Amino acid sequence: MARVELKQVKKSYGSVEVIKGIDLDIQHGEFCVFVGPSGCGKSTLLRMISGLEPISDGDVAIDNEVVNDIAAADRGLAMVFQSYALYPHMSVRQNLSFGLENIGTSKAEIAEKIGQVSKMLQIDMLLDRKPKDLSGGQRQRVAIGRAVVREPRVFLFDEPLSNLDAELRVDMRGEITALHRRLGNTMIYVTHDQVEAMTMADKIAVLRLGELEQFGRPLDLYNRPRNIFVAGFIGSPKMNFIKGTVAEGGASITFDTGETMALPQSGFDYQPGQKVTLGIRPNHVSLVEGGSVSMSVKSVEQLGGESYIYGALKDGTLLTVHLSGQISAEIGEVLTIEGDADEVHLFDTESGLSLRHD
Amino acid sequence: MLALQRKLGVNRLAWAFLLPNLILFGLFAFLPVILNVFYAMTGGDNVLLADRPDVGARNFVTLLDCENYLDVNSCREDKFWRAVWNTVRFVILQVGFMVGFALLTAIILNRDIRARGFFRSVFFFPVLLSPVVVALIWKWILQREGVLNAFLDWTGAGGINWLVDAQWAFGWSVFISVWAHMGFYTLILLAGLQAIPRDVYEAALMDRANAWRTFRRITLPLLAPTMLVVLILALIKGVQTFDEVYAFTGGGPGTATTFIIQYIYEEGFAGAPRLFGLAAAASLLVAGVLVVLTLIQLRISRNNVDG
Repeated sequence: MARVELKQVKKSYGSVEVIKGIDLDIQHGEFCVFVGPSGCGKSTLLRMISGLEPISDGDVAIDNEVVNDIAAADRGLAMVFQSYALYPHMSVRQNLSFGLENIGTSKAEIAEKIGQVSKMLQIDMLLDRKPKDLSGGQRQRVAIGRAVVREPRVFLFDEPLSNLDAELRVDMRGEITALHRRLGNTMIYVTHDQVEAMTMADKIAVLRLGELEQFGRPLDLYNRPRNIFVAGFIGSPKMNFIKGTVAEGGASITFDTGETMALPQSGFDYQPGQKVTLGIRPNHVSLVEGGSVSMSVKSVEQLGGESYIYGALKDGTLLTVHLSGQISAEIGEVLTIEGDADEVHLFDTESGLSLRHD
Repeated sequence: MLALQRKLGVNRLAWAFLLPNLILFGLFAFLPVILNVFYAMTGGDNVLLADRPDVGARNFVTLLDCENYLDVNSCREDKFWRAVWNTVRFVILQVGFMVGFALLTAIILNRDIRARGFFRSVFFFPVLLSPVVVALIWKWILQREGVLNAFLDWTGAGGINWLVDAQWAFGWSVFISVWAHMGFYTLILLAGLQAIPRDVYEAALMDRANAWRTFRRITLPLLAPTMLVVLILALIKGVQTFDEVYAFTGGGPGTATTFIIQYIYEEGFAGAPRLFGLAAAASLLVAGVLVVLTLIQLRISRNNVDG
């Protein structure tokens, strides 16, 4: 187990700064997920921790020891790559043993460790096969096994499930979290899939354009996003955003469509006349006859136990309503909706920051 | 076109398109091979097949008649066997050095070194030269009053008659051949090196493999299929060596640098009488060796595609 700290870590390629001073403190045994859209720098940040990518400025510390100048091989980390990066000419057994042979582990010990790990990951029947003879899921297990067998201080995962099909991804997600529970090691996991992040992480670091947008527990990010980006990125389907202005007296918001809705009277700092964006998750919107906001239906998805209605407000703002049960609506039908005032989020439209103060 | 296809049918139209190439290929490749077999089975120095007496396998017997194949003096056609053993020695040395140096160069050029593009061009440049130009450049450098001896004289070491001494002439023939062709094989090996995924090396780094173990356990095995192709290509090319060495040493001193293709050329075309039959028989034997090498290369290539 190990604590990983990043202090004002930066990375530049020439004049282009791709990681813009990130501070992060990942505690012993935590499962931390770096999440963000493509190009946000999450994989670069992971590679900087691994030592595969040199850092331009700041410090990376593992167990309070700054490792900036320590080679990747000597940091005591193991990495699972997006492409698995298995040695194609070696059998599964050789893939697992290579790292141990490199540090002079005895043959008996190697055999014992491979036996334990392969049994744990259910790859013991594949030990004599080459990677090309394995399925995607099996390759992924071997790649994880190669990391586990070395007993590293920290596990690094770089989008390890992105090459798997949806069903296998869900299975592997469960297996990796189970592995974390069993081993108790610090794990850092990179993904662009916020569902993976929400289901696996103890802590999530949301990144955008090389900056840390928010770092915290999954439900804290979901319930109290710091800004519009995090609010929109965390949660599926994504949060609805409706622009408007706080009305005189501050009791309600007048949307750009001219419709109004009552605002929560506590928990937020806003001023009458302030341009704000109201955020509300699709499951906190309900269809109410005579509701304050009207929406024209664009499409409907019926999943059996739940329904999604996609529509647009009068000004073209897109909106999603998530309802339980089988709700039908006609395309083009105008429905009136109401949001749960206790579940709304308010953001300053200009800065994008949350107006929540507690 | 559709009307023509309807008239001739798809198969006949395909043959019609292939015909010009087939005629040319047949005229300049298949026909000479067939004629070569006839020449090998006939004797005399008459070029017209009709005027050549049938000798059966006598030309092959003449070439292969040896009391001890390791002692060329015991062979009836000792020039042939001198050329064979020169070629064997040449191919072993040339291919060994060439593949070794090409691998070393490719590994260096694959690294993130300064002016990498320039050095890649430098190593490839000799491949673009005509074999005769290569031979003349080195002849000017190595002749008695050449550049190298001028330099050695200037340093006080004294010049050597490089092209008159049999050992030196052979050694320089190997060197020049390596120098002239190494760039081509370096390029193939470089492509092979670049095809090895970067993340496999990163995985090896995370697995704490040092540079030597990474080379031995990752680079070499993953480069092995490319190495085999390079080896076979270099072997075939080595057996076919003629023009640049012929222009460089003329096969001498004596027969020190006479290789098998030069033997065939001299027996069939340069000497008197012109022993077409003997030359054709020798060329069929060489062709047999080259076919075997080519089949090995095809098998390896197919395995690579399948694997």
